[in-house]
Parts: sequence; structure tokens; C-alpha cells
Amino acid sequence: MFIPYSMANPLTLVRIARRLPRPGEVIVRLGEAVEPTHIVAQAVEPVDFRIVDVARELNLPVKKIKPYLKVKRGDTVAAGDILASRGGVGGQVCRAPIDGSIVGSGRGRLLVEAQPQGVSLAALVPGLVVEVLPNEGVVIETIGAWMQMGWGNGEEAYGVLRVVVRAPRQPIRVKNIDAASQGAIVVGGSRLDDEALDQAVEMQVRGIIVGSVAPSMIPRLEAVDFPVVATEGIGAAPMSQVYFDLLRSLDGREAAVGGRLRHRWRAERPYVVVPMPAQSAPPINPESPLVVGSRVRVLRGSYTGVSGVVSNIPTTMIQLETGARLPGVQVDFGGKEFALIPFMNLERLL
Amino acid sequence: MADARTIESILVADCGTVFTKLLLLERVEDSYRFVAQAAALTTLNPPWHDLGIGVVQALEQLEEITGRTLYSAARLITPQQGMEGVDAFVVTVSAAEPLSLVIAGLVREMSLESARRAAAGTYTDIKAILSREGSLSSPQETWARTTRDVSPDVVLLVGGVDGGARRPVMELADAIALAASMLEQDQRPTVLYAGNAELRSNIIKLLGDIAHVEVVDNVHPTTATEQLGPAQNALEQYYIEERLKTAPGADTLMSWSRLPLLPTATAFSRVVDYLCRREKNPDRGVLGVDAGAATTTVAATFDGRPYVTVYGKGVAYGPLSWVKEHGIAALLQWVPEEMEEEELLTLLYNRELRPWTVPQDPRELWVEQAIAREMLRSALAIALPTWDVGKSGTSPGMMPHVDPLLISGGGLVHMPRPGQALLVALDGLQPTGISTVLLDVNRAAPALGAVAGLKPLAAASALETGALVSLGTVISPVGKARPGEVVLRMRITYEDGGTLDVEARYGDIEIWPLLPGQKASLELRPNHRFDVGLGVGRGGKVQAIGGLVGLVVDARGRPLVLPDDPDHRRRTLHGWIWDVGG
Repeated sequence: MFIPYSMANPLTLVRIARRLPRPGEVIVRLGEAVEPTHIVAQAVEPVDFRIVDVARELNLPVKKIKPYLKVKRGDTVAAGDILASRGGVGGQVCRAPIDGSIVGSGRGRLLVEAQPQGVSLAALVPGLVVEVLPNEGVVIETIGAWMQMGWGNGEEAYGVLRVVVRAPRQPIRVKNIDAASQGAIVVGGSRLDDEALDQAVEMQVRGIIVGSVAPSMIPRLEAVDFPVVATEGIGAAPMSQVYFDLLRSLDGREAAVGGRLRHRWRAERPYVVVPMPAQSAPPINPESPLVVGSRVRVLRGSYTGVSGVVSNIPTTMIQLETGARLPGVQVDFGGKEFALIPFMNLERLL
Repeated sequence: MADARTIESILVADCGTVFTKLLLLERVEDSYRFVAQAAALTTLNPPWHDLGIGVVQALEQLEEITGRTLYSAARLITPQQGMEGVDAFVVTVSAAEPLSLVIAGLVREMSLESARRAAAGTYTDIKAILSREGSLSSPQETWARTTRDVSPDVVLLVGGVDGGARRPVMELADAIALAASMLEQDQRPTVLYAGNAELRSNIIKLLGDIAHVEVVDNVHPTTATEQLGPAQNALEQYYIEERLKTAPGADTLMSWSRLPLLPTATAFSRVVDYLCRREKNPDRGVLGVDAGAATTTVAATFDGRPYVTVYGKGVAYGPLSWVKEHGIAALLQWVPEEMEEEELLTLLYNRELRPWTVPQDPRELWVEQAIAREMLRSALAIALPTWDVGKSGTSPGMMPHVDPLLISGGGLVHMPRPGQALLVALDGLQPTGISTVLLDVNRAAPALGAVAGLKPLAAASALETGALVSLGTVISPVGKARPGEVVLRMRITYEDGGTLDVEARYGDIEIWPLLPGQKASLELRPNHRFDVGLGVGRGGKVQAIGGLVGLVVDARGRPLVLPDDPDHRRRTLHGWIWDVGG
């Protein structure tokens, strides 16, 4: 059976897809080297518009407004400009509600559309453009450490990693975020609370990497303008030791943090990528089978977030506490702690 | 490909949101039997982007299980050649993205409600509803902005009975035209018009040059009538064309099959329809529920007329948004142990992040079951008003008499014990009268519905030879009494002549032994205020079929009311779980 996986690898070939939120134009070429702030694609946001009911405002029949119009299709207008008027001084006027241009007219009305606003997509991950996704974005390849996360708040940033706790079970507290955290991507252990988040905002951190986030904090985390990603997902599970050790080894290095959340139809996964100055690295084969010795992480139950190594693959079904009998494996969590976990509640760490 | 009359083997792929299941059927003399099944993760979404990869992964498992080569040179071997390949391949899909829909209409309780029900006939996601909401002026700017920003696949425009309202419908159409004109040509929605028939030419004139317009019969042709079929059929066809056929990898699967891809809900409803024709009982309908990861399907047949409702929430994708609509207390009430909201929400979030996982411990299982109950309830609430139940009817708002009741879908069939699946179904659906409950233990029902399009005999014989497992016969008396009051006395006469005189008390679930395959004659004597499906206070003799749980009397009353006091409620829930076998 194919077991889902998460990347948690110190040195590998990383491929990250960068996609626009809506169709647009890719402005880099295949093979081009890009830096984190390099704009790779652009799109136009849907613009604001207003329907101005000239006939009603001037109290005219729909078919008789034409002589009173002061603008025509294609004209640029500023908010307050007169679009139509009737009756000279002291008469009735109809003004533009927004800056924009006249894009349509009919049935006694004018359609005023605001100037289009562009949206730019930065590379975020430094590397080479190895694939152009027409109208969508690009795939960037680099070499470095690659960690896929359980949850993200949708934001993204590039900055220096700063590990502020000593153990994966230790939450981020206010005291952990000091002036040295300004502009850094703060790495904590288990979770963070409201006060710590306030402090992070105050200190202008560039991002937060934590084990889990409490459901009650999600609205606040989704409102901040820097990325917050959780290695494990939602809840109170501490950061998996594998992730913590890896992040600690990368303390002080620059990292790209992508917080876009896995979505049912557009399954981007939050990630942390730390580029390394290596010339080559082995690619990871996600199809590799689960064998004794495979690194895994538990996704449900009391061992949620705990990583270990497959120590035995029984040929018979294993019985869960719920009474269900399913195929699974024995996982060695170290320190002589073992548990039987069904395949469906496991994730390979590659 | 082999002729339909000589089909020796059929492979069915059911591509669900989370898992792709394969079932292999083989002809044995005059009937078809299950040979093997396999499952793999569905691979429609990234990183795979190809529905076919999951099918091939499951095929490899099936080859391992059967020792038979099914796949070679990057394609399914068909027709069967000796012990290699299969004669036919059919595919059902519920994994594809639903149609995104904007509904525009006038009166919430009439045309808009009908439009919602029409949309529930297939896999749709209603992104916005445009209506005046009681205001006198038409917020056309807002309507246009909403439609443009949502950029739906389809705008379902309804409103006005035939010969009725004109101007408000045209104002909606005007806003839709404006929105469509602001979208790129390839992003413009199809406008499905199912409103006042007299406005059809006006609608086409206004919108025809801007968007693709399709006109069907009014969903509410008169104030007293509702007509959902034409709009439902149009939406389903659009879903098949725009979602199923264009799903990544669907072309590969279609090239292996001579039948078109079929929406899973449609296939499932065919099985329910078959069961109804088999039963030939004019006093009862047949109900099937399929609790999937992303949708909950309710299929029913009454008086020979099939109905299907696809509720766009399932046991993995949906509970979070469900909680936003209904509140978390409605889910917590079903958990038989103390649980903080935070713990429940954590489970819901992580379930959506990792929908393939299963409950590891009892607390997670209680939450899973609570979700399944409420998804069934919500799906049923949409389905019930669409049914014309004829003689099967009971009190308004209450489940009509159905027999059998088929329960399917990973959200129900994967319960560790059969009694748990039964209890969840009873709590979620609250059947009335007498029903045989069938469990689609191999998740075969949609697959067999698809097979029925190719070889009806194969589907029928597989259904008759163990594809569906009986959980037992459930008697659900309807009425009110004091807790502990006897609501039903019953003499059970077994096939060997043995008898058992029993009684059921209000508030309890009682179970008596009746093994799978066993039959018994029941002499029912309900309390004078209770109806067991034979009329209030009326008893009689009926036949019961055994099952994995047995003969069940659900004497908890209808509608089922849980105690308000949390401790009392948890004790009660534990008692019911204990009653059905833990």
C-alpha cells in the first residue's frame, strides 16, 4: 500500500511549484536563475466597479440620457468628475463614484471600472526555473533542506531561521521572542499562545515555525501578515524530534517559508526550504516502499506527531483500541517505546 | 471487446475523494460473484494529478491478491485472455471537483429553495446565492460583483412561476450579464435558466451573446408545484462533461472502458432503485445512504420514482464548515465522554488535513461517529422535502417507512463493530416502522450500480449473493411515552418453532438474537399510542430477517431527543452503545 509522506530531509533536490492565485503571465524563462524576491509571474486582480444609474439620478427616461452625458466609453474619470448633468447651474449632476474609466453603458446606466491592480508572484525559493506552467507560474529547483509542514496560514517569507527553544516539547513564550528575533523566522517547539503571538507581531518577526497551533488561534494566525507554519498540524502535539533536530541544525541559515495550505483541490503543502551551497544532491523517491527501518510519523491518537522507525511489519492485522483490525506496523519510538500503528495513520518521513 | 452476453469478468473502479476501490466480479455458472477487491489512495490531486495512477496502484494489489495479470504495457488488459485481463471495465467517480454554482432567484422559500434542491441532485458547490433578501431595490452591483468574483461554472437562474414575475428576474439576468461580460471569454459561466417560462426568449436575447445559456423547465412552475428533474438532469450532464471527463487521467480510464464514466451518486441510486423493484412493496420505499469523505448521498425510491440528493459535506471534508453553520455543541452532544471544544476542533481540522486516516482510539472514534450522524441528518433534511412518498408517508418531517435501508460509504462501513454502524444510522436517519438494514460492507453498491448499466444480471446476482450484509431487522415504534413504559410487546417465533416473548421499553434499544440468514415470525403488539408501521396502536404478524446485530427494537421514540443534562446524556449514549454491542 502506498503510504503518504512528508519531506524532512537535510539535503536533497528540491522542486517547488510557484503558482499565481489566478491566471496571468509568466515573466521568467526556462533555465533562468532566480533569487527569492525575483518576480516570476504577474496577474491582474479583479477590479472594483460601480454601476451609475444616470437615468434615475437625473430623473430622465432611459432612452433620453444621451444628450446629457459628459463622458463616453473609454474615458478616464476621477472620483467626483461629472458624468452627466441636466439643467445648467443649480441643476442635477451625476458624478463618478470612483477613479476609473467608463467601460460600458446601456439602459440609462454607466459602468465605471477602477484601474486594474497587478499581483506579483515572487520566486521565494532561490534556484533555477526548471518548468514554466503557462499562465500559472513556474517550478523552481534548488538544493537544500526540505521540510513539508502540516499546516500553514497562507503567508510566505524568506529570512534567517532563529531557534528560540531548547526542546521540541517547549512552547514559544513571550520571553523567547526578544529584539534579536526582529526580521527572523522564529522556530519554536510545541506551540505558541496569544501573548507570544502579540510579541512576535511587536518584534516584527518574519515568520514562525512551530509544532502545532491551537484551533482557537487559527483566526488570529490567519490575520497576521507573516507566515506561521506548523510541522504537525492543529492541536497541541510537540514538534516531531526529526523536524526539531533538523531545524536546530539549520539555525542561522536563510530559509524560504511557504505557508499556503493544502487545499482539497489545489493541494499545495506548506514548506520550509533552506538552500545549501551544494552542487548536487540525491532526489527523493516518494514511491519507495515502507520497510523495516523506514522513518515514520504517527498522525492519529496519543502518539500524534511522534516520529520513529518501523521495527516490524506483521503479516497479520493489528488490533486498535477501537476494536478495528487493520494492516499496520510496529513503530520503535526509541527508549524502548513501541506501538502498533495502522498504515493509514502513518506518514513516511523522507 | 467481448460481447455483453459473454462477459466472464468485470472490473469496477470507484474513484472516491480519498480512496480508489477496485472490485473484481467473475461469472460463476449463471451468476456473478466477488473475487477480490483492492484499494489505493485516489491520485486526482497533486502531487499526482492523475486519476489513473491510483487505479494502477490498486490494480497491482489486485494482481498480487488474485495472482492474475490485469495490467500490461501501460493499459488494462481487456478483453480477458485466458487468466489475464478482464472482459469489461467500468468506472464511477466522486473524486472530481464539484461544479461551482451561483444560484439567483427571487423568493427564498420557493424558487431559491427549489434551486438548492435541484443543485443537490449532483455534485455541486453553491458559492453564492443572489436574491433581494426582502429589500425593495435590486442590489445589481453586488450581484454582479459576487458573480464575477466567484466566477462559477454555472449560474442557476430561477424565479417567477410560469406567467408570473418578470422584472425582478430580468434584473437578476442583467446583473449576471454584466458579471459575465467582465470575465474572460473562457471563464464565463453557463447560465442555466429554470424560471418563469414566459421569459425564456428575453433571457436568451439578453445573455445569449455573452454566455452559454441553457433553458430548462421552471423549477417552480406554479406556487404549488415543484419540478426539479429537468434542472437536475442538466446539472448532472454538465458535471459529467465538465468535471468527470476533464478530470486529469480520466481520458486514460475512458479508453479502457466502453461505458462512460458515471457519477458515484448516480450509480448508487441505481442500486437503491433495483432494491425497490425487487421488494415490490407499495407501502414502503427504499432508502440508501452513502457517507463518503466529501459528500453524503441520500438515494431513495418511492412509488417507483428514484430520488438522489448529494449533500456537499462528508465525514472528512465538511465537518469544519458544518460546525460554523450549526455550532459545535450539536456534534459534542453525541460524544459519550467529556470533551473540550478544543479537542473536538483539533480532530476536525486534522481529519481534513489527513482525510485518509482512521480513528486510533475510542475518543477519536466517538467524534467520527458524531460527524457521521450529523452528516446523515443534514443530508436527509435536504432530501426529505424532495420526496413524494405516497403510501410510505408518516408524520410530516419524519422519515417515511423504508425497507430495506442500505448503508454505505467509508464513514459508516468502517466502524469497528457492526452495531456501531447500525446505531449511527439509526441516530442519523431515525427510521420509522420496520426496516431491514443492509450494510454495504465491501463498498460495492456504487460499483454494482455502474455494472448494472453494462450487465444488469451481474449486478443483480452480486447483490443477491452477499455483496450486501444484513445487520438485522429494526423496528422503530413512533410515539411518546414516559421513560421505561412498555411501548411494544412481541412474540418471536423462530424457524425451529422456538418462541420468545419480549417487551421493549421507551428510551431503550433492545436487541434479541436473530442470526444472519435466520428468519423469524414476529407478532407485534404495540402500546395503543405507538405506531410500528401498521397504524397507531395496531399490531400484526410480520417476518423478520436476521443479521450481524440481530432483531432490534429502537424504542427511543421519534424524533429522537437526547437528555439535556450532560452527565445524563453521556450515560444514556454509553448505554445505547453498550446495547448494540459496544
